[in-house]
Amino acid sequence: NNSYQLSSVPLQILFYVNGIYYIFYFLATLGMIVYKSEVFSYPDDFLAPDLASLFIMAVLEVLRLYLGSKGNLTEEEAPLGLSLVLTVGSVILSVYFLVWQTYVLKADVIINAVLLFIYGLESALKVVAIAAFVS
Amino acid sequence: PPETHAVARARTRSGPAPVTDVAKLCVCDLLVAECDVNCCCDPDCSAADFSLFTTCSVPLVTGDNRLCSQKAAIYSLDVEANPPERIFKLIDQVNPSVFCIHATNYKQALFFSSPEMPTPENFDQLLEQFGSAAFSAEPDSWNMNTDAQSPSDANETYRYEYGVPIQTVDAFLRLPSPVVSSWCSDANPAAFLVNQATKCIRSVSVEECGNVQAVSMLSYINSSILAVNITVQSVVVQSLNGMRTLLNGSDVLRLPMILDELCINIVLGVSYHITYTDTGEIIEAAASFVLGAINKEALSILQNFEISFTQVNTKPVPLSGNPGYVVGLPIRAGFRPQGYPFPNTNKYGQLTILQSTSIQDCLEVQGARTPILFGYNMISGCKLRITAAMKCQPLTQTLLDLLKGQSFPEYVASFGNSQAQDVLDWVPITHVHTSEQRIYNTFQSSCQIPVSLEIEVKWTKYGSLVNPQARIVNVTATTTTATLKQLPSGRERTIPITSSVVFTDVSSPAEPGYKAWPTINAKLPFDFFFPFI
Repeated sequence: NNSYQLSSVPLQILFYVNGIYYIFYFLATLGMIVYKSEVFSYPDDFLAPDLASLFIMAVLEVLRLYLGSKGNLTEEEAPLGLSLVLTVGSVILSVYFLVWQTYVLKADVIINAVLLFIYGLESALKVVAIAAFVS
Repeated sequence: PPETHAVARARTRSGPAPVTDVAKLCVCDLLVAECDVNCCCDPDCSAADFSLFTTCSVPLVTGDNRLCSQKAAIYSLDVEANPPERIFKLIDQVNPSVFCIHATNYKQALFFSSPEMPTPENFDQLLEQFGSAAFSAEPDSWNMNTDAQSPSDANETYRYEYGVPIQTVDAFLRLPSPVVSSWCSDANPAAFLVNQATKCIRSVSVEECGNVQAVSMLSYINSSILAVNITVQSVVVQSLNGMRTLLNGSDVLRLPMILDELCINIVLGVSYHITYTDTGEIIEAAASFVLGAINKEALSILQNFEISFTQVNTKPVPLSGNPGYVVGLPIRAGFRPQGYPFPNTNKYGQLTILQSTSIQDCLEVQGARTPILFGYNMISGCKLRITAAMKCQPLTQTLLDLLKGQSFPEYVASFGNSQAQDVLDWVPITHVHTSEQRIYNTFQSSCQIPVSLEIEVKWTKYGSLVNPQARIVNVTATTTTATLKQLPSGRERTIPITSSVVFTDVSSPAEPGYKAWPTINAKLPFDFFFPFI
């Protein structure tokens, strides 16, 4: 009966899909950075920020998904709110990989666009879930 | 003015901008202001020229084709039309690959970097980075190693080898010498253990008396040889008429100055004496000066420079070769007293032979002797007038003294630079006595007087084939005696007395050594029988 269960099922599904997609995203971006460093001229000054951003993004993602999933399942708004704040950071990093990276390939554009779409959807569902938990 | 200087600097810093517009890029346009044949992109060609072309040698001009979308210029000839005309199309070429470059934030990614233009400010840095035969993209890591080595060497005691220039704090100890002409050049470094003596002319006048560094005492003792200061050993003052006086106190530095229209205390000669140890370290350096004066008419002076090396705790003995004997230098000889070790030889330490003079009578000869020079066979002698009144024994003694000299040495140095303390480097002189008469004379009581002394020096070539050194292996002094027959009174006889030196080369022929034939190293690999062993 839905009235006794406030946890959002679509949000949980989205978390699950996000997790799988992010693993793919991480490996694909890392692979492309390696490819770019072999094929193009990629000096160390430009390679270091890109790699650092990718690893920070991975850490943020793990934290974000854990907190969001926990908040949704325990119907608590605090972890879910924290997860929403971390999503902002992930969005910024995703925009970095979309626009400010050293070499932006077409594949980069595609996977970052998909990631941003998922983040947007997630954020909307989180807001709805928080509203449901608070009230 | 500073503005134009800055503008000029900005202008010279970068080269011309690269052409990247594909519409203007034409690879086949080689002739300037002329139409190239079959070059459809050439701006110098008119429509009439295009009608004569058969094909377009460059059909497509694009930028980097890794970009997702780029401009491309397509040139083609429309042969259907009459006359044929050139078609130029500018299109956007799309790269279908998913890994095409959508955007870059790195300016140098797609272009060759224009090289930095050399300016007076960055020339040294550019030369350091690119001036060698090969250079890497990271030049900074190479610089640190070379800097780290030089300061540590300066603190160690420096061991010199023969011929190595003597280092001072800033450069090398210099011995001015004439190079091409007789004028002094200050670029000649003094080499270790190389005794040099040079003479050269220096131009100096009374007006610039105090300014010329090379005539001032200070410049010769200023440089310290790596922690050893050059001390002033003695100062001799030479007056204008050539008379020299030795000064008593030699620690006062006398600098050139003008006195009574003369410039005094000008360095006319420097003599360096360097003391070294047997490990090759310099422990002392002393300089002796000859100072003079010049008057107004003098335009140049002659300077003498000399450097000599002495081993510590030894008296300087002139070497006759290093190590092998040099032809023409005297043979070194000496004595060995009863005890061991072997002390220094006598002052000159030479093997001498009787010198023939114009006085031919042996008894009148004052005992003039000449040193035996290596490689020069010598013979000398005199005539002995025997009278009836001569007694045997004193005559024998006189003749022995005449032939052998006052102190005939016992040992001869086998090498030209043998030191007195190396006992094995000295060869004993073998004495042989022979008699002129072959027939055994039963009357042994008759007088035997020495009539000839023959010294045979056997030497061999020692060392490498390309630079053999002469080494003395054997010295034999053969004294030949003759019978002195008693003369009836009033009669005289003259017999010749000779002494000679002969050098014989007893070197054994060199044996060639051949390299070993290469062997075939045929062995099975270690794990050839792998599963079974």
